[in-house]
Parts: sequence; structure tokens; C-alpha cells
Amino acid sequence: MGFFDNLLLNLDASVTGLFGQWNIWTSLLATALVGFLTYQVATRQDPDTHPFLLARQAQGTAVRQPGESPVYRSQAAPHGMLLNAGLNVKDPGASKWSRGRDGDLRDVWRQAVAGVQEPGPTKGAKGRILTVLGAEKIVEHNLDDITRQINLIGQHIADQGGNRVAIYLPNSVELLATLFACAFYNLTAVILPFDQPDDAVISMLRRSATDTVVTAPGSFPFDAVVKNYPSLRQLIWVVDEGSKHMDWNEVPQGTGGSVNVSTWQDIVNDAPLDAGKTLPPLEGQKEPRDVTVFWQSKPGQQEEMVRFTAGNFVSAIAAQIFAIPTSQRMGPSDLFLPADSLANSHTLVLTLAALFSNASVAFNSVASQADDLATATGGIAPTILVATPAALLKLHTESKPALSSFIGSKLHWLQTRSLTQKGMMPAAGGLLSSYYDRTVRPALGTTTTTTTPNKKKLRLIVTAERVGADTPKLSSAVLSDLRALTGARIMYALTAAKVAGAVTQTNFYDYRVFDDKCSHFGPPLTSTEVLFRDTEQYKTSDNISQGEIIVRGPCVAGMEAALGVAGKMREDNTLAYV
Amino acid sequence: MDYVQQRVAQAASNTDASSSSLFTPLNAILLSLLLYTAYTFLKPTPPPSLPREEPATVFRTFTPRTLLPYNGENGMPVYLAVRGRVFDVTRGRNFYGPGGPYANFAGRDASRGLACGSFDEDMLTKDLDGPLDTLADLGAEEMEALRGWEERFEEKYLVVGRLVAVGEEGAREDGGQEKA
Repeated sequence: MGFFDNLLLNLDASVTGLFGQWNIWTSLLATALVGFLTYQVATRQDPDTHPFLLARQAQGTAVRQPGESPVYRSQAAPHGMLLNAGLNVKDPGASKWSRGRDGDLRDVWRQAVAGVQEPGPTKGAKGRILTVLGAEKIVEHNLDDITRQINLIGQHIADQGGNRVAIYLPNSVELLATLFACAFYNLTAVILPFDQPDDAVISMLRRSATDTVVTAPGSFPFDAVVKNYPSLRQLIWVVDEGSKHMDWNEVPQGTGGSVNVSTWQDIVNDAPLDAGKTLPPLEGQKEPRDVTVFWQSKPGQQEEMVRFTAGNFVSAIAAQIFAIPTSQRMGPSDLFLPADSLANSHTLVLTLAALFSNASVAFNSVASQADDLATATGGIAPTILVATPAALLKLHTESKPALSSFIGSKLHWLQTRSLTQKGMMPAAGGLLSSYYDRTVRPALGTTTTTTTPNKKKLRLIVTAERVGADTPKLSSAVLSDLRALTGARIMYALTAAKVAGAVTQTNFYDYRVFDDKCSHFGPPLTSTEVLFRDTEQYKTSDNISQGEIIVRGPCVAGMEAALGVAGKMREDNTLAYV
Repeated sequence: MDYVQQRVAQAASNTDASSSSLFTPLNAILLSLLLYTAYTFLKPTPPPSLPREEPATVFRTFTPRTLLPYNGENGMPVYLAVRGRVFDVTRGRNFYGPGGPYANFAGRDASRGLACGSFDEDMLTKDLDGPLDTLADLGAEEMEALRGWEERFEEKYLVVGRLVAVGEEGAREDGGQEKA
């Protein structure tokens, strides 16, 4: 026998010997291996977005001014193009291909009443407007009734010689109706943050020079205001069901002699039934007036008064609509719940964007200040939620015990892995996922009432850091945990006093986790561009763009604003605090 | 054939000798294969990142004299000025760089030359320390040609600075805020 024959014989013998050891354990191991490989291949899915789109989210200019960083813009709003300035409203009869108007707040309500215009299965569908009272009762408002209220209230204020209208209300239909009434009847709206100390209210009324106040009894210091602010001409109480029978028009003796007091309900109910059914016509309408809001920074500091033009608002609304990918846009099947005060321009802009997208909108008056999301979402199952970072942080802390259990932590690890490694939202409905739902997932927007308009699950949470207001910071790890916990995507925005809506906002599909204390805030929106101006401490160089954050764009009051805080561009061109 | 029979007999005699232990070489191989596959599939990977971008050019103010070195020689970029704006035409090196048909314009104020469609030396401002060429004596046709050139440059090239006469460098903020 030759050498090779020997080799082959040996080989044959050893292979036989090796497989001769096959036993029950071997079968188990082999099954496990094949099973694992099959599972990995079968469950393989594409990430929600291409990872490279997240690896560079903004585009900087190739030339920068000395002392400044390059100017950064969203990839969706290239340099040399106009930033997203308006809603592109197409008037009836206009050519399909013509460029629409930028529009203003009036067009938001017209769109909400008209329903979806694009051809498709949802054509003509309208959103609903709901008020949540407590955990059980949900009131639906007819859109035509709200239109009537807008007309009657607007007409009433205008007839009484009102000009600058302060709105001091919790999150409610009346707040929104008054805002639209001001837009339609050529009045200047001033939105005051709700639930403020007496002297703060008086100071805000004085600074904004209002002559009319729309407010709710019990929260508004009427006597003190009359005494200290003689310019007040007109007051409209929004009376709730329970105290309707009282005579609110009566002014206490000796006070408020010159103030014309009426109630919302009287104005609406005393008018003839067919009055105020149609909105003022589009043709020949006046230029839209400004809207004034107050930005609350740290407690004890005076609120910053900011005047936004109608253009600022529509630009911000358009950018928020654009920030959600086309396939995930807000629509008639969504239920939008602002669990943050509508006096924040960010919350207000998102709510208006939801109305413009014909989504249903729910108002919960306790939601405005609530840092408890379970309370805020009680009785209703929103699909899109605006929440404060404090509320989200509380939710995260409360979910910790459930996550520390053995099975809970393993399931959470799986969900997180799907988010951060595969870049996709874990699918709902699986066996593991439903177990996770029952054990770990917090009870958000789960409801026992049958009146809820849809049984869809929460799909998007929007939250915002407020510059200079000491809002708690959310780290990317916390955001990722919350995504896994709620099963909803989260967009974290950077908001500032002089910017309607947001400055920057994390990408809808960005689930990445970094080692940080405060997450990045994503790229600029399509309505803003951001640059950094050198400060003593932080200077832009060839290696890094950093300095004081400067924002420009059609949604910025005065077109440009310095935020007064230092920021930087990270390597993926998302903005973060230094 | 003999061999096969021999092996079959051998195997038949071995069957009862097989053990049911977990720790056999075969199991060890399979186990390590399983662990390795699990590791490669499950190991965390950091999010992908793209290579760094080129750092941005800082917008600066040139005088005819400081612009002169930017003529594409000695590895320098190619700049040229049109009506006070300095364009980085390095990408068009074949035309504007050394040896190109427009090489005269590199590092110089090219306004007059472009307006008149002439590449001659006498189109350039001779006195580098003097005032900039105001182009006041040019006709409508030449100005039209110059605007055409400017539009082409704006489309293709970046404005990286502005050109002022010597002694006027301090007067910033008037034309310096032009958007790139």
C-alpha cells in the first residue's frame, strides 16, 4: 500500500470514529444549531431606514464664516433651496400642479373641517375632536359646532371692540376655538400659560397689552386684575357644565365696572341657531395677525414674551408634518393627545399639525401639567402623544421593577436588541411580545371604556427639551428603554423661546444608543438651519463645530435667534449640548 | 471489496461501545460551532458611521496681493475673483490652473477679462496695491457677458471669500454675509 492509501484509510477510520460517537447529546446540539440558524435567517428583516441615513443626518455648508461653524440643514432641505415656509394650501379649483399658498391658521381649521382632500381610500375622512373628562367620560364635539363657536365668539369679541385677546385656559376645545376665532376675525391672540400666580397673570396681561380675556372661573384672579390692570375691557368666562346655572354675567359691586363680562355658553346659545355656520370667505380676507405666546423658563424668572407671525406658525406646522416619513404620516386613523400645555409653541404646533392632517385630537385639561402619563392618558388610547420629558422619566423609573425581574429583563433585552442592533421597531403581536405587554409594558392609553374611537396602539411619542428651562434631560439609553417599553417611536426635540415648533428633532427611525447623559437632538427640521457661533469656551475648528447655537428660518421669530446655550454637531451631524 | 467488508464488521462490533456522554470530541466540535455562530450573530455592533466630512473652508477677505498665491502652483488651490467675490475654481483646474487656457486669471481679479472675453495679460489690474477695477467703462453687452459668467460660477463653484483693495480689509459686514 502506498502512502496515500494509508492516509485515506486513516481518514476514513477517524471520520467513522468521530461520527460513531453520535449520541443523544449530539442530536440535541445539532438541532439547536440548525434551529438557531433557521431562526436567524427566517426572522431577518431590513432595518426601518438605511443605517447610513442615520450616520449623517444633516448637511453642512462647504464654506463657513470666520468665528462661526458651517450652516447645517436637514438632508431633506438642501442648501440653496428655500426652507419649508408653508403648508402649500391649494385653493379649490387651483391647478393640481400649481404651487399652493403658505397659508395661515385659518387654513388649518378649513382643512380640519374639509377632511382629507387627496384621492384615496381616506378621501373626505375628518378627524374628531374629543374632550376627556376624568377617566370615564369622553365628550365628542361636532366640528360644525366648533365652527359655529369660532364664528360667534370671534364676532362677539370684534363687535365689542376687542383687539388683543388673551387666552387663559387649560388644554381645551375652547382654547383652540378662541385661537381660530382670533385668526378669522382679525384679532391678535395672546396665549398665556395656565395656572400661574396672580401677579404673573397681571404682568403678562400688561406686557401683552390685552383688552380681552377668555378664561375659566376659579383660576383667573378677576378682582386683582380689575384693580391692577384697568385696560381690560372685556371678559368671557368659559363655564363648565356643573356651574352653568349661576349668573356669571353679574359683576361684583364696586369692582370691574368698566369690564363687559359674558359667558361663552351665553354667547353661543343666545345666537340664532343658524347664525355663524359658515366661516368667513377666503376671498378678500385680511392679512393674518400675529400670535403672542409666553415662554416659561426657570421658576421665578419672568416669562419671555414672543410674537410669532402666522408665517412662523405655518412653517413650523409644515416642518412637523414633514418630519414624519410619508408612510407614517398622521391621518384620520390617528388619535392625537397633547399631554403638555398648549401654551408651549411646540405642543401647539404639533396639535395644529394633527388638525391639518385630519387626525382626531383629544383634549384633557389635567394633561397640561401632569407629569404622570397614566393619568394624562386615562380613559383614552392615543396613537400619538406629546409628553414632557419629566413625565417620560417618571414612566421609566416606574417601569424599573418590572424590568429587573428575570424574564422581564430578558424580554426587554430582546426588544432593545431589535431596536438598537437591527434598527427596527419590534413587531407587536408575537408570543413573546404579548407576554412582554402583559408583564413589563406600562399601562399607557389602555382603556376600559367602549367609546374610544379606535383601538389602535400608541405609535409615536413626541417630547421636547426646552432651552434654559431646566427640563430633565433624557439620555439615549432612557429613550431606547422607553421605545421598548411603550412600543412607540420617540422623537426628542430641542425647543426654544423664539422658535415656533422645534429647532431640531431626532429622526423618526433613529433608535441608536450612545454613551451619554443627554441624548442628541437630531438634525434641524426642514424649516430651520443651525450654526454655531464661537464663544469664549467653545470655538469651531476644522475638527469640530461647536459654540452658541444660532437658528435661522421661516419659523423663527425675527428670522434668526441665538439660543444662549452652547451646542455642537456630533460626527453623525446631529445637534447635542456640549 | 475486502476493505469494505472489513470496515462493516469493525463498525458492527463497535456499536455497543458507543457512549452517551456529553463530552465527546464530536460534541465538543458541535458545541463550539454553536457558540461561535451565536456569538457572531448576537455580538453587539456599534451603529455604522461614515468617514468624516472635509472641514469647511473659512470665508476670508482677500486683497489682490494675498489672492496672488492662489494660482494653482506649488499645490495651492486655484482662486479667481469676479466683481469682489472670490471663487474656488480648483475643480476646474484644467481650465483655470497652470497651463490651462484661462491660467492668467488664476489668483487674480478676472472681472474685466471675463466681461470682454479676452484672456490677455492687459485685462488684469496691474497695480496690486491700487483700487479695484470698477469696470465703469464697460458697455451693457460686456456687463451682460460678465453676469453670465457669474451665474455659471455660482452654479459650479463655491464663493470662499471676497476681494477688497489694500487698506479696506477692515470694512467687513457689507458684502461679507453673502450666502455660499
